[in-house]
Amino acid sequence: MAKAPLDGVRIADFTWVWAGPYCTLQLAHLGADVIRIETTNRPCITRVLPPWPEGKPGGLNRSGYFNQYNQGKRSITLNFRNTAAHEIARRLVGHSDVVINNFAHGVMERMGFGYDALKRIKRDVIVMSLSGYGDTGPYRDYVAYGPAQVPLSGLSALTGYKGWPPMHSGFSYADPNAGVHGAFAVLAALYHRAKTGEGQYIDMSQWECAMALLPEGILEYTFNAHEPERIGNSDAQMAPHGVYRCVDRPERIAGNKIDQFVAIACADDIDWGRLALSMGRPELAADVKFVTFAARKRNEDELDAIIAQWTSNRRAQEVAEMLQHAGVAAAVVADNKYLSEEDAHLKARDYFVYRNHPEVGTRQHAGVPWKMSRTETAVRSAAPTIGQHNDDVLIGLLGYSEEDVAKLRAAGALD
Amino acid sequence: MADMDAEVIKVERPGNGDKARTRGPFPGHSPHPEKSGLFLYLNANKYGVTIDITKPDGMLLLERLVDQADVLIHNVWPPEMDRVGLSYERMRVINPRLVMTSITPYGMSGPNRKWRAEELTVWSAGGVCVLNGAGPDYPEMPPLKTFGSQAGFQGGVHGAVATMGAVIAQLRDGEGQHVDVSVQESIVSQLELTFEYWPYMGLVATRLGRKPIQPIESMQCKDGWIYLCCVEEHQWRAFVEVMGNPEWASEEIFADRIKRADNWEALKLFLEDYCSQHTVLELYKKVQEKRVPFAPVSTMGDLLNSEHLKARGFFVEIPHPVAGTQTYPGAPLKYQATPWEIRMPAPTLGQHNDQIFGERLGLDAARITELKRTGVI
Repeated sequence: MAKAPLDGVRIADFTWVWAGPYCTLQLAHLGADVIRIETTNRPCITRVLPPWPEGKPGGLNRSGYFNQYNQGKRSITLNFRNTAAHEIARRLVGHSDVVINNFAHGVMERMGFGYDALKRIKRDVIVMSLSGYGDTGPYRDYVAYGPAQVPLSGLSALTGYKGWPPMHSGFSYADPNAGVHGAFAVLAALYHRAKTGEGQYIDMSQWECAMALLPEGILEYTFNAHEPERIGNSDAQMAPHGVYRCVDRPERIAGNKIDQFVAIACADDIDWGRLALSMGRPELAADVKFVTFAARKRNEDELDAIIAQWTSNRRAQEVAEMLQHAGVAAAVVADNKYLSEEDAHLKARDYFVYRNHPEVGTRQHAGVPWKMSRTETAVRSAAPTIGQHNDDVLIGLLGYSEEDVAKLRAAGALD
Repeated sequence: MADMDAEVIKVERPGNGDKARTRGPFPGHSPHPEKSGLFLYLNANKYGVTIDITKPDGMLLLERLVDQADVLIHNVWPPEMDRVGLSYERMRVINPRLVMTSITPYGMSGPNRKWRAEELTVWSAGGVCVLNGAGPDYPEMPPLKTFGSQAGFQGGVHGAVATMGAVIAQLRDGEGQHVDVSVQESIVSQLELTFEYWPYMGLVATRLGRKPIQPIESMQCKDGWIYLCCVEEHQWRAFVEVMGNPEWASEEIFADRIKRADNWEALKLFLEDYCSQHTVLELYKKVQEKRVPFAPVSTMGDLLNSEHLKARGFFVEIPHPVAGTQTYPGAPLKYQATPWEIRMPAPTLGQHNDQIFGERLGLDAARITELKRTGVI
C-alpha cells in the first residue's frame, strides 16, 4: 500500500467536544498527524461523560465517547495561563499545516492565536474556525451546544409524527455534520495550497452546514411560501413506507425488554406486489384499496396496520432478509447491539476497529467509513490518554530537551 | 466540489434523468423535471449531459469523458454496475490517474452489497432511527426517521472527504485509485456516544432512554417553540435569573440538573407556564446574553427571515431558465482566499450535450445527431 493521502500533513487541533474532533478524526483517517491541544484544568467534556468501561466512572481516559472520536490522534496538554505554554503552541503552529478550532467567535484571537498572528508564524498556514454561528453576523457571540443546534437548523420543525410537536433527530446531528463539512473544506484548502502555495482562513458555521441538509424543507418555503407538515416515517412518493414493530429481543438487557422494528420502503407497484407475496397475501396487491400508489396513500393507515400485524410475530432480521430476498428495500432498525454483534455485513467488511488502549484495554470502536484501493487509510491507534504525547511532541518534534520539558512540567506549563 | 470551482460534468440517463428531478419540492406543487428543488439545489455549478451507459456506444462515450477526468464519482447501485459493466478495473485501463469513488448504500463488498436500499432503510441500518422518537412516556410510538435525505447527504459529504483525500494523493503520486464509500458506515461513524454503550457497558441505547439531566427540551412559547438547553448548572442559574427568580425555582426538588430530570414532570409545568407568556426571539436573546445556549425551534420562515443569516448573506438567488429565479441555501463555509460563488444554475436535461461532446470530445455534428437518434444521448 502507498502512503496515506495526508501522510506528512500536521494538524494543530485546538478543537473539543464533538464537532471539531469529528472533523479532525476524518483527517486522521486519511493519515494526518493530528495533535490535540488539551489541558487538565479544563478537560474535553467528552473525557468526563459516559459510557464508562463496565459502567465504572472515573479518570480522564476511560470514556467511550472520547475514545471513539479521537482515535489515531496524539494529545499534548498546555496550560495557557502559563506564558511558556504560548511559546510551545507557537512552535507547534510553526510545524503544522492546518490549525483548527471550534471555540466561539473571538476566543482564539483573545489567546493571541488569531489568523493574522498565526500567519506571521507560518506564512501558508490554513486556519479553520468551526463555530456554532460563524464569525460574522449579530449572533456570532452566541453559545451553541450540540442538542440545540438541531432545532436551530430547522430539522426539528420538519421532523415528527403527523400532528405531533417538532421532534429531534435522536442525537446532536449538527455536530458531526459540521465536522465532516469542515474536513472537506480543509482538504479543499490543502489542495489549493498544493497548487498555489497559498494558505487561507476558513469561517465555518455549524448552523449553515446543518441547513445544507434540508433543501427540501427550505425550498418548499421559498417556492411556495408554505411550511412543510411533519409526516412521520411516511414519504410523499412511496407507500408502504415505514417502520413496523416486530417481536422484542429475546433477551432482557439490564432488566429491560428491548423492542425491535423493521424498516420497509416500496418504491413502486412492483415492490408492493413483492411485499404482498412475501406476506402470503398476493391478493392485497390487486385490491382496489392498494393497487396503485394513490390508492395505497389514501388507505395508508389500513395498509400499515396490515403490514404491522404480519411483522408483529416475526424477528426484525428475519423480515429484512426475507424481503431483501424478494427484492424489497428493508432493513432492521438497528440498535447499537445489533450493529456491534449481529450485523454480519459490517463484520464482513471489517468496519469495526480494535486497538489496545492502556486504560480500557481492547474495545470495539467504529472505524473508517470508506476503503481505498491504493493508499492506506486507517485508524492507526487508540485514542490518546490526556497529555500522552507531551514528550514525543515537545522533544521529538519541537526540539525541547528533556531538561526543558522537566522545567516546563514543574512550572505547570504542561497541566 | 462544483462550488469550489471544480468542473463537474453531471451524467444523467436520457429521458427521465436523475431521480432527484422527480423529488421536488416544485413551485406551485406541480411536478416538472426542470423544477425540482432538490435537483436544482444539488446541481448548481455543474454541466449536464445525458448518456445511456447500458448501451455499448454510451459506455464508450463515458470512457472518453473519463479519459479526460481527474475523478469519476457515481452512486450506481452495485448490481446495476455489474449489469452495465461499470467497474474500476475497466476505468483504470482508460485512465490510470483516475480517482473513482463509488458511494453505495452498503459498500462494494460484504453480504449486503446487493441489498435494495431507500433513504429510510439505510438511515435505519445505520443506527440513527432507533434513537429518535417520542421518548419513554410514549413507548407505543415507533422509531422516527429524520426529515429529508439525511443518509444520502451523509454518504455524499463523507464521499467528498474520501475523494479529496484520494485527489491529494493523486497530486502527490500521479496515480489514481478506487474509493469505496459505504453510506451505512458513514452513519454508524457518527452515533455520538450511543454506539459505545454496548461495547463499554453492555447497554442498548434506544428512543426510550430517559434524559439524565434537564431541562434539555422543546417548549411552546407565545409564537412558536424554543429549545431549552441547560447542561451546566451556571446555565440553569442564569435562566432562573432571566425568569425573575421565581419562588418555585428554589425548591429542593429542582436543586441540581439530575434532580431536575428526576422531577421533570413537575418542573415542566412551571416552565411551560413561563414560556407560554414570552415570544421565542425575546427569550432566546435574553438567555443568550447570559451565555445560555437556547435556540429557537426554527421554522423555514424563521430561517429565511433571520437577521443573522441575512447579515451573513447565507441565502442566494439563482436564476434558472425554466424554474425562474428562486432563493436557495448558499455556502456553509466562507473561504477567505477562494470565495464560493454560484457561476451557473443546475443544468436542464442534456443542456451541455453539444458543448461537451462536440467541443470537448471532438465529436462532429453528424455523430452527435446519430447518438441522439439511437437514444445513446
